[in-house]
Amino acid sequence: MKASRLHRTVTALLFCACLVSAAYAGADRDRAPARYHSPGRDRSSARYHSPAEVEDALKRMAKGHRGTAAISSIAETPGGRPVHLLEIGPGDAAVPAILVVANMGGDCPIATEAALRLSELLLGEWADDAKERRWYIVPLGNPDGHRRFFTSPLDECFVNAHPVNDDNDDATDEDGPEDLNGDSYITRMRQRHPEGAWLPVADNPVLMKRADAGKGEIGLYRLFTEGIDNDGDGRLNEDGAGGVNPGRNFPHGFEHYTETGGPWAASEAESRAILRFAFDHPEIAMVLVFGRTNNLKKVPESSRKAEAAAEKYKVPERMAKRFGLDPETEYPLKELVAIARDVTGYRELTEDMVLIFLGVGAAVNPDRRDLPYWNEASKRYNVFLEEVGLDGKRLEPPASPPGSIEEWAYFQYGTPAFSIDFWTLPVKEKKKESAEGPTPDEIEKMSNEEFIELGSDRIDAIIKASGAPGPFTAEQVIKALESGMITTAKIAGFIRKAEKKEEAGGADETDAALYDFDTNAFVVWEGYDHPTLGEVEIGGKVPYAQLAPPAAAVESLIVRQLPFVRKLAAMLPRIAVERVEVERVAAGVWRVDAWVGNKGFFPYPTYQGERCKRPTPVAVTIEGKGIEVMEGRKRLVTGLLEGSGGSHKVSWLVRGDEGVTVKISAQSFGAGSDERAVSLKGGGA
Amino acid sequence: MKRIRIYLAVIFIMGVVVTQQLAGGQKHTGSRALLTFDHFYDGPAVIEALETLHRAYPRLTEIGTIGRSEEGRDIWLLTIGNPDTGKDTEKPGIYIDGSIHGNEIQATEVCLYLAWYLLDSYDTVPLVHEIVDSRTFYIVPIVNVDSRARFFTDAGGYNIGRTARVTHDDDRDGLVDEDDYDDLDGDGEILEMRVRDPFGRWRSHPDDPRVMVRVKPGEKGEWRRLGREGLDNDGDGRLNEDIPGYLDMNRNYGYKWQPRYVQRGAGDFPMSGKVTKAVADFVASKPNICFNFAFHNSGGMILRGPGSKLSDIYPQTDVAVYDFLGKEGEKIVPGYRYLIGYKDMYTTHGDFDEFMYGCLGIYGFVGELFMSSQEQYRKPGEGKEPTEEERRAYFGGTPPEEKQKFNDIVNQGRMFKSWEKFDHPQFGEVEIGGWRTFTTRIPPLFMMPEMLHRNASLVIFTARHAPVVSLEAVEVKRLDDGLHRVRVRVSNPNAIPSLSSRALQKQITRKDILKIEGKGIEIVSGAIVEDPLLERIRPVEHRPSMIFTHVPSFGARMVQWIVRGTGEVKVTYNSVKAKNRTLKLKL
Repeated sequence: MKASRLHRTVTALLFCACLVSAAYAGADRDRAPARYHSPGRDRSSARYHSPAEVEDALKRMAKGHRGTAAISSIAETPGGRPVHLLEIGPGDAAVPAILVVANMGGDCPIATEAALRLSELLLGEWADDAKERRWYIVPLGNPDGHRRFFTSPLDECFVNAHPVNDDNDDATDEDGPEDLNGDSYITRMRQRHPEGAWLPVADNPVLMKRADAGKGEIGLYRLFTEGIDNDGDGRLNEDGAGGVNPGRNFPHGFEHYTETGGPWAASEAESRAILRFAFDHPEIAMVLVFGRTNNLKKVPESSRKAEAAAEKYKVPERMAKRFGLDPETEYPLKELVAIARDVTGYRELTEDMVLIFLGVGAAVNPDRRDLPYWNEASKRYNVFLEEVGLDGKRLEPPASPPGSIEEWAYFQYGTPAFSIDFWTLPVKEKKKESAEGPTPDEIEKMSNEEFIELGSDRIDAIIKASGAPGPFTAEQVIKALESGMITTAKIAGFIRKAEKKEEAGGADETDAALYDFDTNAFVVWEGYDHPTLGEVEIGGKVPYAQLAPPAAAVESLIVRQLPFVRKLAAMLPRIAVERVEVERVAAGVWRVDAWVGNKGFFPYPTYQGERCKRPTPVAVTIEGKGIEVMEGRKRLVTGLLEGSGGSHKVSWLVRGDEGVTVKISAQSFGAGSDERAVSLKGGGA
Repeated sequence: MKRIRIYLAVIFIMGVVVTQQLAGGQKHTGSRALLTFDHFYDGPAVIEALETLHRAYPRLTEIGTIGRSEEGRDIWLLTIGNPDTGKDTEKPGIYIDGSIHGNEIQATEVCLYLAWYLLDSYDTVPLVHEIVDSRTFYIVPIVNVDSRARFFTDAGGYNIGRTARVTHDDDRDGLVDEDDYDDLDGDGEILEMRVRDPFGRWRSHPDDPRVMVRVKPGEKGEWRRLGREGLDNDGDGRLNEDIPGYLDMNRNYGYKWQPRYVQRGAGDFPMSGKVTKAVADFVASKPNICFNFAFHNSGGMILRGPGSKLSDIYPQTDVAVYDFLGKEGEKIVPGYRYLIGYKDMYTTHGDFDEFMYGCLGIYGFVGELFMSSQEQYRKPGEGKEPTEEERRAYFGGTPPEEKQKFNDIVNQGRMFKSWEKFDHPQFGEVEIGGWRTFTTRIPPLFMMPEMLHRNASLVIFTARHAPVVSLEAVEVKRLDDGLHRVRVRVSNPNAIPSLSSRALQKQITRKDILKIEGKGIEIVSGAIVEDPLLERIRPVEHRPSMIFTHVPSFGARMVQWIVRGTGEVKVTYNSVKAKNRTLKLKL
């Protein structure tokens, strides 16, 4: 009796333990560092989802909503984890879609939470938003990277498990960091050394700053990542596990030979799968990226040197000679196409073929004709943040890294593409004493030429006031401005950064903000006897402290911000056959005019989409019993339809019996379809 | 009867002799050649040829596939090497492929010829024997398996079938591949259409009405050229503008890949095609590859990158390697020019050779086979060299009226289909005719053997220059205190270094490792000896037993160790590309 009760108790306990551990850690069997994942600290059950838990959550949602939700695995990571995509929409209906990709960089746990929450909302309260459009949601684009957030010791390393021989020696992944002091964090080691370039910040010695020789500061410490030199090559932790960051592996602006970008664009299973999926689904009309960047809060600056965006081109000398053109003159592209068609006799020669021969590169700035829409979306976003009380001063989200998914989505996929971060560290408001000369905001508004006109003396003063390192002169700045190497926006950013540094006693802006936010986000330096370095101190920033807000804050942050996603969805382009006019030209001959319009906010396609030939514009057809199209095409493709009421007129001359019904249809992949029927009758000649 | 027998015997002997000549003219006696080059190998015939070679030389060859195409065809790989001298990846590898553009078919014959020649000469030609023993040849005779197969089976033309069979909406009208060419007259070829038009920009050549010349200002036109045979299938007012494809595999590779609006044919993203992905995965899996040749047609060029100004600058040491091989190549294949892609031709992004060099640090050439300027009808020395403009206009140089004579008299008229009237359903009466499918970019068969042999020789010459590193002791010197100084040298008499400078600078491939070890031996220090005469020494600060270095083009590297102890030490040279070496020394 006793034994059996004991047995029952043990079984029940075991069962509970299983449930708890399954729910808590999922199949990954993660050992969760207390700071982010312990319910105790936050006094709530809030916590982040590990890759396995994300999978469970998605499976649950799909199971609970058969017919509207479905889950699929679009890739397997080098670490053997699936990349899941949740589809939410009206069954098989052909409707426009929105692709949401979260945490592609593996460095933004809150983005994954936001995507999961969005999925729940779309399957619940916001079900109406998934009736006329489809949502493709990838809550975790980089499971291998995100997995490390649940691994002890905690280390800020976001690459996937693709083995990379970082130090190019005889072994791969053989020298990663170690948690030497056993605090379950990989932090930093500092060592007093003649080569040291670092100093403790004067009024906050837990923070470190780079010594500024220009100000007579002498560096005291060398800084290292916590760990030992496993391979004995004299370098510490230079070849850790993995890998490549799939969030830097997309083909727009990709950079070769970087530490984590991968050997070429789309080299990774994760990025390839999303690229493949996107191109296989032409109905995707917008891409939303949840991660660390935010191109709605601030629209990317448009001052990078653009080539394909230009409308006039110089012709390389050899070609100019052949075509009888002047190599010094800039010709409009359309004119060059006409000339090339004439010279080659090839009628199907297109603008892009000519651009290729001109050796023109990819666009690097948002098309200026797309900017009004983007700016308006940004304006609405910032108003929205104010309304929900999230407009407090906070750290600027980082700019998109090379090879980011959001830049790819706009520049190569051609749809509106927005990235949203859900959190950065708050920054304490500080009164700014008005300095002499223009403020960074004023500088940013100036054109390069206006800034140069300030004259070298004033520019020198600005440089000096900004505390620029080294012997920077006004002349150099002017030269750089003239050549397009830098912009006024860059100068403004530089000054802002310098100002912030000054305010924080020289500490890094992020460090200072983090310390203000949570003093426990720094491990206090403590002595340690290192096997090869000797006496060192271990301490510094706790991994992820600046990347992930406390779990308890997550829910409120995302539910307040997600409604803007609905607002964006409502701004998708939407086509309609708005008006059809019939005019009798002669007996049995009719002119049919139709106006196809865009009732949505965004143009269809975007101007950048027009350039990169995606998506296909609206196709318009005319049908009718026994009619013959005498002028015009039975099926034709409109050009770009401007947003917010843009329209395109299509005309036909048709022969047909009076009273015959003619149907005008407009079809698109990403902006819906519409049709309108009229009878051949009416006035006229 | 007897006479017939003799007659047959004579024919047979002549056949053998002719075959041998076509097979490269190397043998004067012996059996019938395994492969002959008196025809073009279509899809199945290539596989059969690979199987034939493998059956005849099972020890030296391996055949297999590296992936499948969009239409499900296997991509075949032939590996040639001697397993008795080591695993394939232990020896420097040469990667050769052909027909990445499906219409550039004779590239495949170069691959087959090279394979056959290496194997056939293995026992009789010492140089070939040595090269096959000490290198690995990876040969993919057809990259674009789909389009090349269709070149033989579908109605086509010399310019048709370049790309992969990846569906793409070229004209961006929402319909895919809906306006292909059409073989209107049903002759199995897609030739040219022209229509009589007094306002046309062309007129017949006064000496040869088959040839059209541009009208001069004020002259009356005769013809409007309509392009290739076809209908406006989708009724959009454009002709043949959405053919199957368009993904140009040689614009789909991953080094500085540019999207379609910058680079036509680029595909959706790097290696989005099945074949390009398969080839990229394969070459990346063979880090021993040190050089590659990709054969194309035409124009007679030995091309190298950069393909565009976006490319990273080629280090001068690498340029020197290219220049040496390219300039020798110009002599091996007379008439072919060694050129730089973006500078001498036009800008391209995402080509295979740039991928090999930029992403993998492997040198490579594109061989543009055959010059139409060789299709001459004139006395030697007569006529002028074609200008650059003419080369471009006429695929290499022979003016069309001369090419017609070459066609009529040297080829008995088989190259050109004369213009014939055709009632076009959309345009009314047109004429269809023109240079036939197996012309223009493809030489007449009788001109093939020399082209094959010279280009194969270029590959073999380059393979000779793969790094062969020798490891030798320069000095074992006894110092005080039981210390010894050991100096060893690694040297490479060939043009291709053990690592390209690109691979070194961008840390693409790990460096070679020189290592010393011995029982009871303590390694006190290790250093690279930059100049033994001036005693310029660069010490290695950590792990002195292991020194990372590389062996340059036509050069050597020396290292030294100071060791304590006596007895035997072992020095090993370990390289990703060159063969490993070991040296035992007595202290």
